[in-house]
Amino acid sequence: MRKYDVQLDINNKIYTLSISPQRTLLEVLRDDLGLTGTKEGCSEGECGACTVLLDGLPIRSCLLLAVDVRGRKVTTIEGLSQGKELHPIQKAFIEEGAIQCGFCTPGMILSAKAIINSNPFPSEEDIRIGLSGNLCRCTGYVKIIKAVKMAAQRMRREL
Amino acid sequence: MKYFEYIEPKDLAEASQILNEYPEAKILAGGASLVVLIKNNLIQPSHLVNIKTIPGLDQLRWDSKEGLKIGPLNRHRDIFESPLIRQHCPILSEAASKISSPPIRNMGTIGGNICHGEPAADFPPALIALGAKLRLFSTKGERIVAVEEFFVDFYETILSKTEILSEIIIPPLPSRIGGTYIKLDKTNNSIAIVGVAALIGVDEKGNCNYVGVGLGGVAPTPLKVKNAGEILLGKKVEEDLIEKVAKEAQLIANPITNIYASDRYRKEMVYVLTKRALKEAFSKALMI
Repeated sequence: MRKYDVQLDINNKIYTLSISPQRTLLEVLRDDLGLTGTKEGCSEGECGACTVLLDGLPIRSCLLLAVDVRGRKVTTIEGLSQGKELHPIQKAFIEEGAIQCGFCTPGMILSAKAIINSNPFPSEEDIRIGLSGNLCRCTGYVKIIKAVKMAAQRMRREL
Repeated sequence: MKYFEYIEPKDLAEASQILNEYPEAKILAGGASLVVLIKNNLIQPSHLVNIKTIPGLDQLRWDSKEGLKIGPLNRHRDIFESPLIRQHCPILSEAASKISSPPIRNMGTIGGNICHGEPAADFPPALIALGAKLRLFSTKGERIVAVEEFFVDFYETILSKTEILSEIIIPPLPSRIGGTYIKLDKTNNSIAIVGVAALIGVDEKGNCNYVGVGLGGVAPTPLKVKNAGEILLGKKVEEDLIEKVAKEAQLIANPITNIYASDRYRKEMVYVLTKRALKEAFSKALMI
């Protein structure tokens, strides 16, 4: 079985790996690099648990071959905090109680980051559209939307 | 996933040659549909040919004679945001906005959306209404086909073993034109139960000088309502003529029943939505 040498830029760190082409970015993140913050849900691109940012935009890491990520920047949930200081979106999720079981939370937070990055003044509708690819099966969307609003407000102040 | 070899060709000729050499090879673009098929063992490619390494396939440009030329690797997000698309064929931008969720729109490409051959896909009805043409490249020769002739059956297209979709061409349209893509879905942006794209152009006398109607989700392939031109062209756009086109759409629809909707419901809705789409297209054309 042929393996392919790739360099992956994940959370601003370069990893040099030799991988089989059928392995997804999700598998490499979790199994090879131990970055288990990214979750595997449906594995078919429906649920959003595996969402990571690719060049700043949310994508499904379960549908992306790791060999196809060459030369691009990946951000996972582990790349958000500064040392022990949590990212404003992470703080807002905790303060608003926007987490129940927590399985969807990494994907939700990364989608939220992309929403706020592209529009510092997101309306409730912008947030709902931006999070439409992330399912929460504890059904706690109200608090999640509140948390994203709160985070956007705080991040605007920091601008 | 079963093992496959992975190849990054440098140009279309090399990609086409690889397809010729390995009959079980598949083209990889965004991967949003392909990887799901492989994971579920619905296809077992021997090789994946990643065409994202080929330069120029993500271009998007306007040519005043030939119209818009869209490279197949433009993602749904690119189509949605492109100022050129919004200026020359906003209906395509509208269709892009209705495809799945933001992460999928950041991955999936317009070329992949077409070549997947999904009968309920959102781009094909809009492309049919626009009169789009597809350029198919092969080392054995190139051809250009009308988009409605591209689809053969459920997930089946006319692409031969060595052909690759290399460009989507949208010819220039009359200046006073309105259009819309209406999608009936179960939840926001889930797969279309029925999708109807309609475009109407009117001349200075108020007569119809362009009409295009494309349907999705109501047959084994996306459909063009071919008789729409015969019914509307050169005439004043009146309610009874719009109804006639909608009846025609209903007549050619041959839908299936699945968990989302029954065939009868789809057949009813294709009439309702074609009427609605044509009315909306006409009122938009009058505003220009």
